Parts: sequence; structure tokens; C-alpha cells
Amino acid sequence: MDEGNPAAAGRFAIAYVAGALLLAGYATWHYLMGHYARILPPALLALLMLVAAVLRLVLIAWPRIPAYLVLIAGYLLLALELPHLDGEAVIWVGLAPVLPLLLLPLAPALLLNVALAPLWLLLGGEALDGEFVLSYLAIMTLAPLALWEQRRQRALLLATDPRDPNCQALSHDGLHAHLESEFQRTALLHQPLAILVIHLPQLEMASEQFGRRARQALLDTLCNEATRCSRRHDFLGRHSDTTFWLVLPDTSENGAQLVQQRILQALEPVVLIDTGSLRTHMGLCQRLPGESWQRLRQRLCNLTHRLETQ
Amino acid sequence: MQSKYKVGLMRLNLLAGALLLGLLAPQAPAFASALLLWLGVIWLAVTAALLEFSHRRPAILPWQLLPGLLLMALLWTAPERHALWLWLWPAALLLPQPVWMLAVNLLLAALSWWSLHRLLGAEQALFAAFALLTLTILAVARRRQPQRPSVRQRVRLAPGLPLWSAYQLYEDLPRERARCHREGVHGELLLLRVPRHQLWPMAQQLCRQLHGFENCYRLDQRTLAALLLNRDAQLARERREELLANLATPRKARVIALEAIDSLDASLGRFQEQQDSLAIDMEVTHG
Repeated sequence: MDEGNPAAAGRFAIAYVAGALLLAGYATWHYLMGHYARILPPALLALLMLVAAVLRLVLIAWPRIPAYLVLIAGYLLLALELPHLDGEAVIWVGLAPVLPLLLLPLAPALLLNVALAPLWLLLGGEALDGEFVLSYLAIMTLAPLALWEQRRQRALLLATDPRDPNCQALSHDGLHAHLESEFQRTALLHQPLAILVIHLPQLEMASEQFGRRARQALLDTLCNEATRCSRRHDFLGRHSDTTFWLVLPDTSENGAQLVQQRILQALEPVVLIDTGSLRTHMGLCQRLPGESWQRLRQRLCNLTHRLETQ
Repeated sequence: MQSKYKVGLMRLNLLAGALLLGLLAPQAPAFASALLLWLGVIWLAVTAALLEFSHRRPAILPWQLLPGLLLMALLWTAPERHALWLWLWPAALLLPQPVWMLAVNLLLAALSWWSLHRLLGAEQALFAAFALLTLTILAVARRRQPQRPSVRQRVRLAPGLPLWSAYQLYEDLPRERARCHREGVHGELLLLRVPRHQLWPMAQQLCRQLHGFENCYRLDQRTLAALLLNRDAQLARERREELLANLATPRKARVIALEAIDSLDASLGRFQEQQDSLAIDMEVTHG
């Protein structure tokens, strides 16, 4: 979710550069110790990590490629150096199951850990005793818990938060749940129900052409004006990336047209820095007498589709 | 879009961890490390038992601090046996946690490294410190902010259940009151006091009987509230009687017409003092 934004990319790049420095330091150490034959691998792998850091900043949309490069660098260094170390060097084997968890998503990390566990255990222990194996397995099982918990909290928030994360409107799920309950309410109380569909064609390209901030400005303007022009119990929800539904309970067709007029007038003078004036396509949908929820929803989706392909 | 998250798999992972620590514990020569390992087993098992996909039990801070403290204590008491686990620290930093707790964990990680440094010898200890630092930067880059309290106030307490926090009732009540007045609808606030352990089953029972547009709120550990909407007072009374008859008997209940609520706090205060099992306020009270 947040791995695609530039700030996160910067943080990851810093971490990769730190890794590169670590490996460069290790190569220097071999040089000072006179182990000339062992200098080359860490030096080359340090370069690989630098490349990964640069890639992380350039390919913001593909964070996995540099992550795999860093993982390969870490794995190679461990595999090459472990046989040279002895005695307390066993401690370094513990790095192997932690690295993929820090770099990859949960599922590939788990898979990789399980697949490579025998290899690392063989590389790590001349003294392959039961306790060492158990300790290694314990790291392998305990380390992923942090990622599980991260996922749980994120999924829980998605499942329970009715609001859209990017603007002051209901999310798709929140909107549909709320609209259905509003449908029931107005049906029970014999009230009319109107929905105003608002499509913002500029949203589609705003991000690519003008960046994140232009897109946010469009979203904020629409949400503010739509909220300002409606009553307290009307609600705005985001049906798709570029289309909003403004639900107007207990509103006749005339009333809804009035709201549409007001929103159009409010948006007319708006000129944003990057995108200029704000263009909208709007359509009105009124619940017909005796109409079922599925039918109304179908009509709404058709109207939305028409507006989006206009 | 229903979430595909499986809480069962995480529980399995927790139990597997508990099992491994349980296997290691009897082998520990020192009493202290055996005790710490058993504490770890208990922590993992209890977490697995309480784990569920809802906001019912948000993790409390001492509970979240415990794994870090246990890890540090283990490395401190028996560095030669658990040296491998130094690398669990980056994972511990990856857990969703507030910034001050991150700082505490960083400090604990530094202490753990210190307990190992003599064992490793100067060069390896130095290199281990830098490696740990690098992984820490990586873990912090990947860390997620824990949910802010302001977010937690506005979410449903469990997926799929129209059950909201007390905060949401303070938001909804004035709006519903104005709307009911405008539309000529009879709205009432139902307050229920239930025994603490029955709160969640009762909330589920209540939610099942509400219309889709009526919300239920958890005010505190023993109090539930619901907004009931009906076309007129007559229908409202029939519906309320049926609803209360269908619920497992609550300790006490109070029904207040939305028009009769001056302030929610005053109404809640009267509910606190109420002796009868059922009270109904339909008149506007001017105190």
C-alpha cells in the first residue's frame, strides 16, 4: 500500500545503501587482514546493493526487483562466508531466515525460508545438534509473526473502516452498505430516494500527468463542494476511482436537480493549479416506485458506466 | 470485496512458535532461561487464543512490550545458547507499535547486543552491530504506523456487524434527531446494561434484529445502545416490546425518545442511577 510512495522508496534506498556500506566495510576488512582472495565477492555484492538502491528510487512502481537483488546479495555473502567462519560464527546463520521477511511479502518469504532451511542448517552447523536446529526453526516461526500482525491490522481496517483512505467520502464498500440501508429506510418510511452520479474525467490522468498532489486537489475540491451543497444526512461515497455517488434520501427529482445545479455552480469558478478548471459529468437517478434494490443498483451502475465512457 | 485474510493461519503460526519454545524449554540448563522460555510459550499461546479478526480486544501496551523484554532477558541470561536469536530484533521492530515503544525496543536490542559482544570477540561483535543496524533501518523503512485512535473511533468494531464505538453515537445522535424531526419519524435510543461477559453475544443478537439503517453502539464494557426508527410511536412500542422479548434478559434497559434527549450524557447519567429493569422516557424533560 505505502510501498509505492516516494518517501517509502527513500527509506528503503537508505537501508540498501547502509547494506552496501556494510559489505564495502567487510571487503576493506579482508584487505587489511591480507585475505586478498576474499575481497572480491563482498566488493561486487556491495556494488549490487548500490544498484538496488538506485533502482528502488527509479522504479518506484516495482519495489520487488531491488528487494530481490538485495536478498540475492545477502544470501550469496552468507553462503560464501559461512564456511570460512568457525566456532561462534553459528550466530550468522540466524540472518538467513530474517532477510527474506524484511525484504519480501509474507507468502514468498515463508516459502523461501521453508525451502532453504535444510541448506542453511547444513552450512551453519558442523555441530548439527538438535538444539541448534530447534533454535533455527524457532527464528523461522517467530520472525514472520510481525508480518502476520501487520497484515491482520491492515485487513481489519479495510474491512471495518467505511471511509475512503484518500478523501472525505465513503469507500466503495462503505457506500454500497450505506446505500442499501438507506434504500430500506426510505422504502419503509415511504420516502423518495435520489442518487447523483458524479464522474471526474480528469482524475484518471491527473496522477500520471501532474502527480499525486494534483489528484488530491481534485478529490478534495469535489468532496468539499459536494458536502457543502448537500444536507447533513446526505452522503458522498466513492463508487470507483473516478466516480462518486451522492446519495440524497427523502429528496424528490426536483430537489435532486437543485442539488446538481448548486454543485455545478460551486465547481464552475474553481481553477486548480495544474489541471485548470474542473470538469464533471453528472447524472441523476431516482428510485422508481416498487423497484427492488438489485434493480436500482443495476441502473446506477449502468448510468455510471455511461458517464465514464462518455 | 470481503477480506481474504485468514486469522487461523496466524494462529497456527503462533502455536507452532509456542511448540518450538516448549521443546527448547526443558533442555535449558539454567532455571532462569527455562522460566523465560515457558513465559514465551504462555505469551504465544494466550495471544493465539485471544486472536480474532475484530476490534474487540485491541492489544494493550504491556502485552506488546513483553516479547521484547523476554527476548532481551533470554539473550542476557544465556547468551551462548540463544545467540542466534539476536536476529529476531529486526522482526520485533517490524511489529506495529508506537514510536516510543520502538525506541524502547531499540534500546533493548542494543542491550542484547552488549550481552553478546564478549562472546563474539571484538571484530565479529562490531560487524554484528553494523549488520543489526542495517537490518534495523530496513525494518523501520517497512514498519507500519499502528492505527491512530482517531481512526479506531470511526470503524466498525467487527467486520460485517453494524456495531460502532461510543464516539460514533455522539456524532450520529444530533444528526438522527434533526433528521427524524424533519421527516416526522419516531426515533428512540435504546440503552441496555448487560453483564460484562455477555456484551458481545448480546450485541450480535441485537444487531440481527435491527434494520439495516439502524446502528448499534458499544458505550462501555457493560452498556450497549441502539437507535430505533419507526413510522410512529404506536409501531415503535410494538417493535420495542418484541425486540426486548427476543433478547436474553438484560440487567436493565431504558428507552428514550430522541426528542426527549437534551444531552446524551445526562440521559446516560439517569440510566446509571435507574433502579427498575425497564424505564421509558417519552416526554420532553426540562430540567
